[in-house]
Amino acid sequence: MTTTETPRFVRADGPDKVTGSGRYAADLTLTGMLTAKFLYAGVSHARITKLDVTAAKKVPGVLAVLNQADVPLVRFGSVADRTLFAHEVIRFEGEVVAAVAAIDAATAQKALDAIVFEYEELPVVNDIEAAAQPDSLLVHENWEDYAADDDVSRQGNIASFTSIARGDVETTLATADHVISSRYVADASHAVPIEPRGVVAQWEGDKLTVWSSTQVPFQARDGVCETLELPTNKVRIVVPHLGGGFGGKCGFHYEAHIAALARATRRPVRLVFSREEEFLAPDRRREGMIVEITSGLRHDGVIVARKARILLDNGAYSSDASFFPHMAVMHALGPYKIDHVYGEASSIYTNHQPSGSVRAPTAPQACWALESHTDELAKAVGMDPVAFRQLNTVDTGATGVTGQIYEEIGLQECIREAVAASAYHEDLGDDEAVGVAVGWWPSFPDASGAYIKVDSDGKGVIITGAQECGTGAVMTLPYLAAAELGMAPEDFEIVYQDTSAAPYDTGATGSQTLLNNGRATVEAAREIALQLKKLAAEELEASPEDIVLADGMASVVGSPDSSISIVDLAGIAADGEMLLGRGSGSPPESPTTPKTVSCVGDQGMNAWAGPQFSCHAVRIRLDRETGVVRVLEVNTAHDSGVIVNRVGASGQVEGGVLMGIGQALTERTVYGDDAKQKNAGLLEYKLQTMADAPPITIHFAEVYTPDMGPNGSKPIAEAPNVATAAAISNAIAKLVGRPVRLLPMTAERVWETLQDERA
Amino acid sequence: MSETYELEVNGVSYPISAAMDRSLLSILRTEVGLTGTKEGCDDCECGACMVLIDDQPVNSCSYLAAQAQGRRVTTIEGILDGENQLHPLQRNLLDEGGVQCGFCTPGMIMSAQALLARNTSPTQEEIRIGLSGNLCRCTGYQRILAAVEKTATEA
Repeated sequence: MTTTETPRFVRADGPDKVTGSGRYAADLTLTGMLTAKFLYAGVSHARITKLDVTAAKKVPGVLAVLNQADVPLVRFGSVADRTLFAHEVIRFEGEVVAAVAAIDAATAQKALDAIVFEYEELPVVNDIEAAAQPDSLLVHENWEDYAADDDVSRQGNIASFTSIARGDVETTLATADHVISSRYVADASHAVPIEPRGVVAQWEGDKLTVWSSTQVPFQARDGVCETLELPTNKVRIVVPHLGGGFGGKCGFHYEAHIAALARATRRPVRLVFSREEEFLAPDRRREGMIVEITSGLRHDGVIVARKARILLDNGAYSSDASFFPHMAVMHALGPYKIDHVYGEASSIYTNHQPSGSVRAPTAPQACWALESHTDELAKAVGMDPVAFRQLNTVDTGATGVTGQIYEEIGLQECIREAVAASAYHEDLGDDEAVGVAVGWWPSFPDASGAYIKVDSDGKGVIITGAQECGTGAVMTLPYLAAAELGMAPEDFEIVYQDTSAAPYDTGATGSQTLLNNGRATVEAAREIALQLKKLAAEELEASPEDIVLADGMASVVGSPDSSISIVDLAGIAADGEMLLGRGSGSPPESPTTPKTVSCVGDQGMNAWAGPQFSCHAVRIRLDRETGVVRVLEVNTAHDSGVIVNRVGASGQVEGGVLMGIGQALTERTVYGDDAKQKNAGLLEYKLQTMADAPPITIHFAEVYTPDMGPNGSKPIAEAPNVATAAAISNAIAKLVGRPVRLLPMTAERVWETLQDERA
Repeated sequence: MSETYELEVNGVSYPISAAMDRSLLSILRTEVGLTGTKEGCDDCECGACMVLIDDQPVNSCSYLAAQAQGRRVTTIEGILDGENQLHPLQRNLLDEGGVQCGFCTPGMIMSAQALLARNTSPTQEEIRIGLSGNLCRCTGYQRILAAVEKTATEA
């Protein structure tokens, strides 16, 4: 590698993926392997009156039938409200009642059919506003007894609550020139990775190996250890290639069920989900939400006060959703300079599938509500929506809604560049328009670790806790290590997604791999760089401080002829002190704002580390006869700091935008009166196809961000999913005359809004 | 009730003994032992299981294996060239950054191969329509489109 070339990013897993040789969890087979199937509750709220598996166990070819009576009664989750199998009360339709292991799928199905499962139905909690009332039927009786972090406040069906207060909202609103209130309602939606999840478990003595399609292998390991009461060093989670996640495969899911079946049968067991199961069962779904926002304005367009109230559909259990109210409030208050704010959000238990992390949890819905509201504000004072945002959004040195003062940020550049790339200022006729929205998202510093070894031939291996779900760890980590060592990315292989081989990492969640595992990998490479420099100094009779590593050589600075190849140094090291590096590094500290400036509920962060900013401008065409909206072009601009891997970062933006278009127009989970999903399939739950996909332009506002990710970077994977639906909403509102207040903005809803406007 | 028949996959003839109601996808993955063809929905909605039957793209989840007797089945494992070099579609998908998680990739390549076989210089719109039966959740399709365009231009 020469340092003057454009950095090369090699997708190390690429050849395996394009040739079909790559193995995903469902592709694994082990000798003697059994097939697992689950009996689901199929009812949203009920008390179990009978569960008899005697006949199921007698079906020939069935080796185990398990239920909650067969595993420790351990409650888990961010509020410990769940058990592995249904226990006494069913709270959503996808709850696992029993699990079968049999010689094949048909036999497993016979066993499921032979299970006697009887229950007494209870009324369902299906509406978050009703559920939030003090006299509502409770989803969890006596749930105050469940363990939870001390800062989770609980009351009735309120699973978690956060508020943000700063200044004096009520007085300021009372004296504002304009006060505008809006209400927006978003439906639930899904992550929909194309790979349905798979889990394979095998015991060897008292050691368990689980191959799982999880984004977070260490969390999966910890979940197995917690629920089956095992020490961490007895449980190894390995992730084969992972076929996408988008948050849907975060958390601990079915690893423990399959491990328990494998232990009971003393054989390997495999579970592979159908697409329907993928929709119905996991405790990961993007939550439905009701957002009410009121803003006070001066005649000159300055926003002087804002309050927001949000209800989130927590679903039946709390998985990882306890911090969602905070994220939702931040997105409803937004990246604006407002001195008087009050926001509160409650996540409400219902008898729906549990909510959990899906790419930028809460952000697309809350941003859609806020940014649609923002265009209503601009209209009220007769200002151009872009100029209105330029006047009111935060810039470097500005104070945000929680009192956080921003260091150098690129939001204004994002607005300028996204709009400049678009047809915003052109006359587009009666049926086309460009809508604009801004978004933001925090960074999540966390612990992470990596090892690197360089062997006698000068080839290296990075052993990392990082998880690759398509996002590019396999490209970027070798690049970072190579850059520290003056080597080529191709000189490194990576060993990853194996909890017994690598140090801890939080996994492919919170857009954190480059930020945290990138730091760990750089630290590990630096240890090897020190070793190489010391060795080279001895060979070249120079001081280690004068050695530079570049182009595969260690050279004395200023004397390029005095050099030795890294391959030769590796050969020397292999016979003595070996080239072994380890890295973790301290996670960047999160900024804080004094409690005297703002009052942020304990589940919240009163300042965001490394905030990322974005602006999306979306051009649409509206068919007024049908309400069908077609997206013609999306112009994006993102401040995710300095971009390390442009191909990888662009792929994240493009994928996030398309997911955003789906959320804007078609992706919607419909619940029946029985609180069950009515459209758990890809025909009825419509993803965007290549035929729908518009051209997407990208501008990166590369603001060097100190003390965050490697090379001045910030994360990128979730941020592109924040503002797209909001921008589409604003384009629709321009053409229709008013916003569509329901998400997704389906053709039917757009058409109905058109009729309302004409009436 | 099992029946015995022969299935030609990637130029190799395999004796199959299996129930007649088994899908081609299921037979390929379990009896033939080729797992490059993926199951994403078992409902003809995602295209991850796309294979070629006599050069026509088919969702193998919804096609009976027994129906493929006497026909040529081509899977992702069968499109490397004679020297085991990457097919231009495979190479260009990697060069253009059109692969992320990779789960849709085999099906996408098979659909693109079928498209380019019947239309050597497709327009962007023809590519969009031609690959609209293959869902990808990672890429936003931009770089897949670019890779297919590049392949057509090179041919």
